[in-house]
Amino acid sequence: MLIKLTGGTVYDPMHGINGEVRDIYIQDGRITDPPNDMPIHQVYSLNNKIVMAGAIDIHSHIGGGNVNIARTLLPEDHWANPLPHTELLRAGSGHIIPSTFATGYRYAEMGYTAVFEPAVLPMNARQAHMEMGDIPLIDKGGYALLGNDDYGLRMLAANKDQKAFNDYVAWILRASQCLGIKVVNPGGINAFKFNQRRLHLDEPGPYYGVTPRQILLRLARALHELDVPHPLHVHGCNLGVPGNLETTLSTIEGIAGLPMHLAHIQFHSYGAEGDRKFSSGAAQIAEAVNRNPNITVDVGQILFGQTVTVSSDSMQQYANHLHAYPKKWAFVDIECDAGCGIVPFKYLDKNFVNALQWTIGLEIFLLVDDPWRVFLTTDHPNGAPFVSYPHLIRLLMDRSFRNDMLATIHPDAARASTLGAITREYSLYEIAVMTRAGAAKLLGLSDRGHLGIGAAADITVYTKQEDKEKMFSKPDYVFKDGELIVRNGEIIKVTWGTTHVVRPEFDNSIEKELSNYFDRYLPMKLGNFKIHDEEMIYFGQGHIQVHPCRERNSS
Amino acid sequence: MSALTLILKKTPTQQVDVSPLIPENLTDLSKPEIGAIILVTGNQHVRTDTIFTISGDDPERLIFTGETTKLDYIGKNCSIGQINVQGSCGAYTGMGMKGGQINIYGNTGAFTACEMRGGLVRIEGDGGDFLGAARPGNQIGMMGGMVIVTGNAGARVGDQMRRGTLLIEGNAGNYAGSRMLAGTIAILGKTGNYPGYGMKRGTLLLWHSPNKLGATFNDCGCHTLGFLPLLLESYRSLETRFAFLPKTTGRARRFCGDMASLGRGEILILVP
Ligand SMILES: [Zn+2]
Repeated sequence: MLIKLTGGTVYDPMHGINGEVRDIYIQDGRITDPPNDMPIHQVYSLNNKIVMAGAIDIHSHIGGGNVNIARTLLPEDHWANPLPHTELLRAGSGHIIPSTFATGYRYAEMGYTAVFEPAVLPMNARQAHMEMGDIPLIDKGGYALLGNDDYGLRMLAANKDQKAFNDYVAWILRASQCLGIKVVNPGGINAFKFNQRRLHLDEPGPYYGVTPRQILLRLARALHELDVPHPLHVHGCNLGVPGNLETTLSTIEGIAGLPMHLAHIQFHSYGAEGDRKFSSGAAQIAEAVNRNPNITVDVGQILFGQTVTVSSDSMQQYANHLHAYPKKWAFVDIECDAGCGIVPFKYLDKNFVNALQWTIGLEIFLLVDDPWRVFLTTDHPNGAPFVSYPHLIRLLMDRSFRNDMLATIHPDAARASTLGAITREYSLYEIAVMTRAGAAKLLGLSDRGHLGIGAAADITVYTKQEDKEKMFSKPDYVFKDGELIVRNGEIIKVTWGTTHVVRPEFDNSIEKELSNYFDRYLPMKLGNFKIHDEEMIYFGQGHIQVHPCRERNSS
Repeated sequence: MSALTLILKKTPTQQVDVSPLIPENLTDLSKPEIGAIILVTGNQHVRTDTIFTISGDDPERLIFTGETTKLDYIGKNCSIGQINVQGSCGAYTGMGMKGGQINIYGNTGAFTACEMRGGLVRIEGDGGDFLGAARPGNQIGMMGGMVIVTGNAGARVGDQMRRGTLLIEGNAGNYAGSRMLAGTIAILGKTGNYPGYGMKRGTLLLWHSPNKLGATFNDCGCHTLGFLPLLLESYRSLETRFAFLPKTTGRARRFCGDMASLGRGEILILVP
């Protein structure tokens, strides 16, 4: 079937197209050349409408143990937000931490076609993939967590050569069916298990004697040498601690020019100045990002209201548990692999710290010059539920709206912030960069995030509107792999997305030693740990797309 | 006017959520309008009149009859009137109830009177597990009102209970009054293992020594407590065996706990 989208105003930053009226043809789920004499089966005339690739969320917690524990911990979120089943849609529930089906529906309704779960514990990866396998409509993928795992730390403590470490990293990527590697509080989660409450960047951790910086460098180098497209995805040390700005700057400087993605940078951009010993470090962080082209960031914007913080960083989550609202929390240690801490939280605009966090996130968005290196996230659900993205986009695109909001927050925080003086307003092109093209490029998804010939036909069409929140919350059409799934913000067809993975080469002889380790220390055999392709394709509901690792010596 | 009677036409294949059928929702409705109310059963939506025969005209007095064990959420959030159930009922009867009265002439399922705030639930039979408790995952159970059980109650009665009174004429299962925050649970019959497990405050009033008591309860000896006759006197007006107890001396053995929690709760075992 051949579909023609005609007369739409196209924003396709990957090809430098900034608001040109163009026709797009879709055939067999892909964008194709204009056909010569083939009959066109369907035409959508898109005058006055804006056409972009489907949006991509590079960091959102949508599957895996922590999300599930958060759901269990917050039944009130699910009682209050039931989603009844219809002819087309499955039942579900939840607003701040929606059930799997609701997650897929809500994302697709906003024009998102791919979402990446940044905290896949290898030990827990099967559960994470099965859960994500139940999320309809969108593509997904995961980043495997390393850096607090006993086996990896043993390797580093024994000063194993980089080649062997690379093989281990590649093996983990393959075994856990992931697209990248993430490190959370390098060494810190492990240190917490030895009753330590803080681990600084250059402080040797307990037992293994490895410093967080060594872990970062080894992992970043491994991914670089394995040519994995997505750079090391880093949740740094000292999350949320006033003054952690220094740690973050030191992390940026200390990665030795290797590519690195800093997640939810907002939580790592705090100074310790002022009466309350809490201030914005956004300007210095943005300046450091601007100066270091090897660094990319996503913001992890907080927005006011009830949410729940889910993180593998059990060390920092434990430090925050006294602020839990409602007063309950859950912590889990996972088989010498990583941690998990769930703390519900309500961000209040009249609270100085929360209000300043809000301004810090926005300042980073607006002070990082290159939209290709800063990404739109709320670190769902940590900063806010993902359904608030349209609101966030309006804050970035509409200065007067932003200043109206600024006037309503805690006055001291508003006064302490430079946000009111920043005049930048994001353009549609820049939004298309940060939510589509840039994300696809950073993740190495060559056929997503753009509208070139051969790309997957993941396309979102909006009506041009002054109110950008309205515009981005209700697309006119969303196509997923060439099929129309959303019309006027409502789902009309349910399809199943792909799981994106990478499979770098490695020397399989490492399995011998790994197997001994599994037999001695872990609750399952190595053979059971590895997730096979057939499991991912669960009754034809899922697919796998393997993305090539970069050609060696190319950029 | 005669009581509004809802007779189940046949045994439903799955549990039916009858929470919309409470007196205050029905007062201004005609019989066809009541019949058109949509209920949820399994994954289906059904009209009330497809499963119930409706007769009578006084919605302040509501009667459920037929195979009522298939009905969940009877009297949910009810605040006025009287509901009578001519038989046993499903789970969550009287959940979140604020006022009025529910009489059950049979047994009830789990979570009866959970998160109740006011009113009276009378069970002429056995109450299930988690009587007067919090819903799963919630932190505060029953917050007011009274439940009278003429038969036995299951495990975890009054779990996380905050206020109000549970009067159990028969036996209670294990962990009675677990995680209690406040309120009163009186049990005339026997009590299972570990009553008051994790209780912070509140009172468990027992007529028999429990099977097993947690090690984190302190024996404070026997006391003559002046308030006990007054407390029992306050039950005189009720339709329950608690109204006809012999005049007590008010003497009781007192255990304080649970010391593993806040420890301000008490288990009083009456000395005959
Ligand atoms: Zn995150």
